[in-house]
Amino acid sequence: MAEFLQYVITGLAVGMVYSLIALGFVLVWKSSSVANLALGQIVLLSSWFTYGMLTQAGFPLWIALPLVILFALGLGWVIERFTLRPLIAQPILALITVTLGLGYFIEGIVHFVWPWSVAALPRIFPQSVVHIGPAVVSQEYLWVVGISLVVFIVLTLFFRYHRMGIAMRATADDQKAVQACGIPVTVVFSRSWMFACVVAAISGILISSIGGITYGLVETGLKAFSVVILGGLDSFGGAMLAGPIIGLAESVGGGYLTPVLWAGVKDIIPFIMIIIVMVIKPYGLFGEQRIERI
Amino acid sequence: MLKLNNIEVTYLNVIRVLHGVSLNVPEGAIVALLGANGAGKSTTLKAISGLLRVEEGEVTDGSIEWNGERIDKKGAEEIGRLGILQALEGRRVFGHLTAEENLMVGAFTRRDRRAVKSDLEMVYHYFPRLKDLRHNTAGYLSGGEQQMLVIGRAMMATPKLMMLDEPSLGLAPLLVEEIYNIIKRFNTEQKTSVLLVEQNVRIALSIANYGYVMENGRVVLDGTADFLRNNEDVKEFYIGLSAVGAKKSYREVKHYKRRKRWL
Repeated sequence: MAEFLQYVITGLAVGMVYSLIALGFVLVWKSSSVANLALGQIVLLSSWFTYGMLTQAGFPLWIALPLVILFALGLGWVIERFTLRPLIAQPILALITVTLGLGYFIEGIVHFVWPWSVAALPRIFPQSVVHIGPAVVSQEYLWVVGISLVVFIVLTLFFRYHRMGIAMRATADDQKAVQACGIPVTVVFSRSWMFACVVAAISGILISSIGGITYGLVETGLKAFSVVILGGLDSFGGAMLAGPIIGLAESVGGGYLTPVLWAGVKDIIPFIMIIIVMVIKPYGLFGEQRIERI
Repeated sequence: MLKLNNIEVTYLNVIRVLHGVSLNVPEGAIVALLGANGAGKSTTLKAISGLLRVEEGEVTDGSIEWNGERIDKKGAEEIGRLGILQALEGRRVFGHLTAEENLMVGAFTRRDRRAVKSDLEMVYHYFPRLKDLRHNTAGYLSGGEQQMLVIGRAMMATPKLMMLDEPSLGLAPLLVEEIYNIIKRFNTEQKTSVLLVEQNVRIALSIANYGYVMENGRVVLDGTADFLRNNEDVKEFYIGLSAVGAKKSYREVKHYKRRKRWL
C-alpha cells in the first residue's frame, strides 16, 4: 500500500512537470498552429543555463532565477525572429520542420558549451520529508506541484482576459482577419514564443532540481507531446489534467510492470497511450473541435 | 480624404489585376464599389488596407493617398493605426472566441480602456442582437449574426474609414436590409466614411452617395448613386431591369450580345 501511494505521488508530481512543458507547447500551438518540436531541447538548454548561473557563475538564487527567465524570454524572441518569421506565410509543415532542426541545433550548442553528460543543480526547494498516510514524500514534490498549478492558473487567466491572450487565440483562428483588425501578428507570434520558452525554462528548473540535468530531458519533452495529444493540442486544462494521467500511468505502470516485463517499459507507456487516444478521440480529451455549422 | 490615383496591382510580379484604378472617398461619405466577380473590387480594398502584401501582391504603379499622405508602401498594421479598417469578405469571425471577445480583438490597438468599454456599448446599441449573444461562441452564430459581428469588430477600432467587403454575401434579403440600415445609421451618426464593395447593386446604391462600377480591373463608370441607379446600362446589367422597368426575358437575346462591353 505504501509502495502504491509512493508511486502515485511521484507520478503526480512528475506528471505536473510534463503538464508544464505541455503548456509551453500549447502556447505556441494556440497562437500560430505550429507544433514546436524543439521543446525538449529548450527545456534542456534552460536547465543547463540555470546550472551555469547557479553553480558555475555562483550567483545566488534570487539573481540566477530572474536571469534564467530573461534568458528564456530572449531565447524565445531570437527563435521567433530568426527561424520562424522568415517562414511566415509558408506551408505549416515547413515551420514544423524548422523547429525539428532547431531542436538538434540547440542540442548541439548544449553539447558544445556543457560537454558533460550529467550535472546536478543545487537543491532549490526544502527537502524535509512529509508523511502522507503511510507514504513518505520529499517536500520538493509538493513545491513542484504547487508551482505548476500557479503557472497554469496565470496562463489560463491571461488567455481568457488579457487582450494579448485574446489576440493570440484569435490569431490561431484566422491570421488574416487579425491583420485586418490592425494587429501586428508578428508581435503576437513573438510573444507566444517568449512565454513558451519561459514556461519551458520553469519546468526545466523544476524537473532538474529533482532529477538532475541529463540528456533525458529531451525525452521528457517528447513525453510532453503525449500529454498534449492526450489533453488536446489547444487546451490548457487538458494539458494540466493529462500530465498527471501520463505521469501516473508511467510511475504506477512502470513500478509494477518492470519486475514482470523488462526495465524501461516505463518509457513506452506514454507512447502507447498516445496511440490509443488518437484512435478513440482524435481531438484529445479536451481539444477544440473544428467548428462546422451544418 | 482617401484618394487612389491610377493604381496598378500585380500579384506574384506577373499577374496584373488592376489596370489603373482611380477613386475618391470624401469625408463622411458612403462610396460603393460595384462589379461582377473578378472585377478587382476586393483587390482594390486590399491594396488600400495593405493586406495585399500578405497575398504576395503589390501596388506597382500609381499612388494611394490618405489625407495627402502616401500609404501604398505601408504595412497593414500601420494603415490600421491610421484608422483605415477592412472587414474581410466571407464573415471571418474568430470561431472559437465568444462574440464579445471577437469585438475586443477589434479594439486591440487602443489603449484607452474606458473608451473601449463605451464603444462596446455603442456596438451593442447598433446591433442589439449581439448583446444577447455576447457569451456565445462566434463559430456557432448564424450567418447574419456573424456578419454583424464582423462589422461590429471593425467599428470597435473607431475607424475613420470602414471598408466592407460584400456584407450581403449569402444573407436573406431582410437581414441584408437590416445590416445596411445599420451601416447607414453608423455612417450618419459617427461620421465614419464607408467604402463598400458589393455585388448587390440595388442595396448598395440605396445607401451610397457615390458609386464606381468596375470591370476587368478598371473603373468603367462612376457617378452619384442617383445617376447610377438611373443609368440604363447599370439597370440592365446589374439590377436586371429593362428600360420600362419590367423583367426582361434573356431567352430572346443571344448570350454574347446580351452584355454591353465597355472595353
